[in-house]
Amino acid sequence: MSPQFVDFNADGHLDIVAGIFDGSPHVAFGDGKGWQQPVGILDKDGARIVMNDFWNFDTKKWDATTRCDPAGAAVVTGHLTSTWAADWDGDGDFDLLLGDHKGGQVMVRINEGSNAQPSFATKNVPVLAGGKPMVVPGTVTTLRLVDWNGDGVQDLLVGSMGDSYGNRTGGGVFVYLNEGSDAAPKFDAATTLIEPSAKGAAAPARPDSGLYMDVGDVDGDGDLDLIVGGYAIWTPPAPALDAAQQVRVAELQKELADLNAVMQDFYKSIEEATKGLDEAAATAKRAELLKERNQVFQEMSKKRAAVQRELEPLTPGQKRKSFTWLYENLGKGAVDASARR
Amino acid sequence: MQLATPKLCALACSGLALSITGLIAQQPSQFATPVRLMAGETFLGVDRLYPSPMLHDMNGDGLADIVVGDLRGRITVALRQPGDGPARYAAETKLMALDGKELDFANW
Repeated sequence: MSPQFVDFNADGHLDIVAGIFDGSPHVAFGDGKGWQQPVGILDKDGARIVMNDFWNFDTKKWDATTRCDPAGAAVVTGHLTSTWAADWDGDGDFDLLLGDHKGGQVMVRINEGSNAQPSFATKNVPVLAGGKPMVVPGTVTTLRLVDWNGDGVQDLLVGSMGDSYGNRTGGGVFVYLNEGSDAAPKFDAATTLIEPSAKGAAAPARPDSGLYMDVGDVDGDGDLDLIVGGYAIWTPPAPALDAAQQVRVAELQKELADLNAVMQDFYKSIEEATKGLDEAAATAKRAELLKERNQVFQEMSKKRAAVQRELEPLTPGQKRKSFTWLYENLGKGAVDASARR
Repeated sequence: MQLATPKLCALACSGLALSITGLIAQQPSQFATPVRLMAGETFLGVDRLYPSPMLHDMNGDGLADIVVGDLRGRITVALRQPGDGPARYAAETKLMALDGKELDFANW
């Protein structure tokens, strides 16, 4: 959830706009003293603005729709989780740029009304790069429109998720330089600002996945720096083990494997016990079995945690922790940092 | 940042240093080695679910503070401390709504 401070309803006070994981954009209206709790930003028919996947509040389940797909359909299935309010078509009101954390698309929802009386279209329009719908490698975390290269027009900065847990390529930050105008943006290929992470570090060295960036002159030297939230993923070097430690590691690993096998058997037994039942009955049966075994489960979890605690310093596993990083720009140019909109 | 550089590089390099994916033009690194920002005595955004920082002057002192959103839909604020040298930020505080509760974007 990437907050944007913007006077969305043109009442002279800053509001907070954000796309969130439920699949829609929201706004918290401000009155100059604070903000109300957020509400959804709806289209002109009163429907939620989504891509494809969204949390259905009526059924309380994840759901999907093609209702908002652009003409000719979306190129991949999308899940909107980021939004940036900006005047995309130069008509003086805020449209909504939409970022897709599932498929990497960037789309725009045009405001056919005004800021005071918004009337958002019912369909998404794909943002193009090189004449084709933009698909960001690693999928989209967050978006910014900012004049990155100081040519007077807004460029599009995009952060990417990358592989969030495993060893595959992580996230990066890219800029799509605007070769058109603010009212008619035109993008080609992206330029890499932060290379997608190859991971494999022995200590936290950079944000490796889920890169959420913002732009500003943090160090006051007249150029644009990046601040980037994200997960560092690293594996501390393993210590050299003596013979006794090696034996102990083998014992602990076996103990852990045995505990895992018992857990797996239990889950398998639940699966068997609920096979053929309707959803309500299966949920009830599952709850009953979990309650029955609750004490055993608690004890096993404690044992497992104790084994892992002892094992960890001997065979350190992969670590994953979120931080916020400063990427200080080393260039010597100058740009109007207030150009962000 | 060499402000003219990215666009010039994207154009000039377009036929030279192309791309890992065919879509992404490469350019030389222009950033210093990244450093983790602190907020008070702890790392800014540490252990938050997908921290998403935003620079914004929250208290009207002319300095850009850092506002951090996360997957849970909560927002914290780390006020930038005045003074020369590297940017310093106070400990994060929760952003409250007008109803006195924590501002909460997560309703799913």
